[in-house]
Amino acid sequence: MAGLLNASAEPAERLLLDVRGLSIYFGHGPGEVCAASDLSFSIQPGELVGIVGESGCGKSATALSLLRLLPEGSSRTTGKIILDGIDLAALSESEMQKLRGRHIAMIFQEPMSALDPVFTVGHQISETIRAHFNVSRKEARERAIEALEAVGIAAPRQRYDEYSTQLSGGMRQRVLIAIALSCEPKLLIADEPTTALDVTVQAQIIDLLLDIASKRSMALMFITHDLGVVAEACTRVLTMYAGQLVEEGKVDTVLARPRHPYTSGLLRSLPRLSQPKSKLPAIPGRVPRVFDQTGCRFEERCTFRIDECARPQPIRAIDDQKARCCRIHDLHLSGAMS
Amino acid sequence: MTDVHETQPLIDVQNLHVHFPAAHRGIVKAVDGVTLRVKPGQTLGIIGESGSGKSTLGRALVGLVRPTSGHVLHQGVDPFAMRRGEFASHRRDYVTVFQDPNSALNPRMTIGASIREPLDIAGLLPRSQRDERALELLERVGLNRDYASRYPHEVSGGQKQRVNIARALASNPKLIVCDEVVAALDVSIQADILNLFLDLQRAFNLTYVFISHDLGVVSHVSDQIGVMYLGKLIECGPAEQLMRDPRHPYTQALLSAEPCAMPVAFRKKKRIILKGEIPSPMNPPKGCRFRTRCWMARDVCSTEPLLREIAPGQQAACHFADTTGLPVGAVETAAYVGAGA
Repeated sequence: MAGLLNASAEPAERLLLDVRGLSIYFGHGPGEVCAASDLSFSIQPGELVGIVGESGCGKSATALSLLRLLPEGSSRTTGKIILDGIDLAALSESEMQKLRGRHIAMIFQEPMSALDPVFTVGHQISETIRAHFNVSRKEARERAIEALEAVGIAAPRQRYDEYSTQLSGGMRQRVLIAIALSCEPKLLIADEPTTALDVTVQAQIIDLLLDIASKRSMALMFITHDLGVVAEACTRVLTMYAGQLVEEGKVDTVLARPRHPYTSGLLRSLPRLSQPKSKLPAIPGRVPRVFDQTGCRFEERCTFRIDECARPQPIRAIDDQKARCCRIHDLHLSGAMS
Repeated sequence: MTDVHETQPLIDVQNLHVHFPAAHRGIVKAVDGVTLRVKPGQTLGIIGESGSGKSTLGRALVGLVRPTSGHVLHQGVDPFAMRRGEFASHRRDYVTVFQDPNSALNPRMTIGASIREPLDIAGLLPRSQRDERALELLERVGLNRDYASRYPHEVSGGQKQRVNIARALASNPKLIVCDEVVAALDVSIQADILNLFLDLQRAFNLTYVFISHDLGVVSHVSDQIGVMYLGKLIECGPAEQLMRDPRHPYTQALLSAEPCAMPVAFRKKKRIILKGEIPSPMNPPKGCRFRTRCWMARDVCSTEPLLREIAPGQQAACHFADTTGLPVGAVETAAYVGAGA
């Protein structure tokens, strides 16, 4: 908790992650497609940031690029990623390997496919510890058991020797969190960590992540399609649409008064208890297949479109919110409460 | 919606049990004594965690699994007491739309052929009219006629789900069981599909059983809601009432765990975070099945609470269901936390 307060009290503090003009491309030559374009954002130490967007908006590709985990032959990135003062692009692969897990770690959506079924879960945790620290097997085992205990797994000594198939979905996600936390990273990226889980277990996992983040003043980057999860877990939110960042702001402000029509559309399309059986205001149309529009990429689905929208849209600021919308000053968009 | 005169329920489930054999002579009691009714034209929502038996219940409702004991009556008739030929034509009225729009369609059949297939099998219309009917159905679910010649891989997930809905409508069913139909879709597309379901219900007076783990979705579409836990129906009642005033501690926990996209000042202040996970349905706890995770559990809970009327139309299976709201006195034994970050 202390890390969080410090982070907001001293804006001059050094950034943990600074992403500038990041673009991600897949494929070669004329078939090359852009998955994310010109992303710039930063994360402070201990901060809880959410990235929301629908499938195909580039949020997972962004996360993978932060760890330099994109397939090397078939993808390329431009722009700068500076983690803890280190420019990731300048690192060799072996230097990058040291950084992964130690400075920045990631947990994935599907806890089943992220664990190896032929090794015990304990082995997979100590493997990570031994890759980063010069410790004996015995010492690594003890640390792994501590890590299992820290993520709320009962009887960690016994669980250490079990296989992932013997565990439930929630337990597997806890094991993944234990692996990710075993080397005490400063930034944890969680890509849809609770999507495959039941609500009751989801609440447990979110609670666990928040608890650990505040105890270790670790920054969390939550990638999700669920605005509810963002509301519960994050303090700042970035909205992505069609490979671009379209909105950024404090979670409570964005939920109450979104500044981009897409964020507003997402909020309005959520089913409400208060209006059962009413027609939901869905966002018309679909996400464009290729991101080569010169103007606003949301233009063709937007009900507030004007001529200006066909021109390139820079990020504009209003108060402490930012949005990639030329009507940021004159639109009154409805948020979560209306 | 329905009048006070006794309308015959479309679905009448009486003490339904569905058990499956498991390894080491075990028995999975997927559905273990469920009684419920669904009136024609209404929507029953079923919520619960994975492993609570909601999908098995859904399959039993349309006759896809045979009850181990108890009955599922379709307008008073037991489909499993029918002769085979009779059952085959009867089941066209009771259909299912499944969760995964990708695996529900044959990748080697065009969309038009997929929609026509149930008509071909049933031999409902002369061959010449089936293609036309398939095209009409496509339009009815909001897709252009030229989609008929495309293959499933050429269309998006939301469009595939529309095709599945069109196919379910092909035989003019009375009941559609919707098993997690929007779980695989993005929010903006999810809203579109939910609108389509509501629209079709009005147009054809359809009856839905809507199975989902998403409380927002279920409460949006349902007239009645049933909550399942380990094969039992533990609470049921009118949707709005149940959401406003849940009486079973499990329902209360489920509702409080649902993440809410609201600024912190508008969110519920208390969250109940349940300890542990749903126990194995092979060996459910004796007495009240929820007592191993319940913060209100007392000695009396080792005897099984029966589903009983708590408020008009609302039933709950809990010894303490008469106590309104959250039991403040029991707070210290519970894993309570304050709201959010």
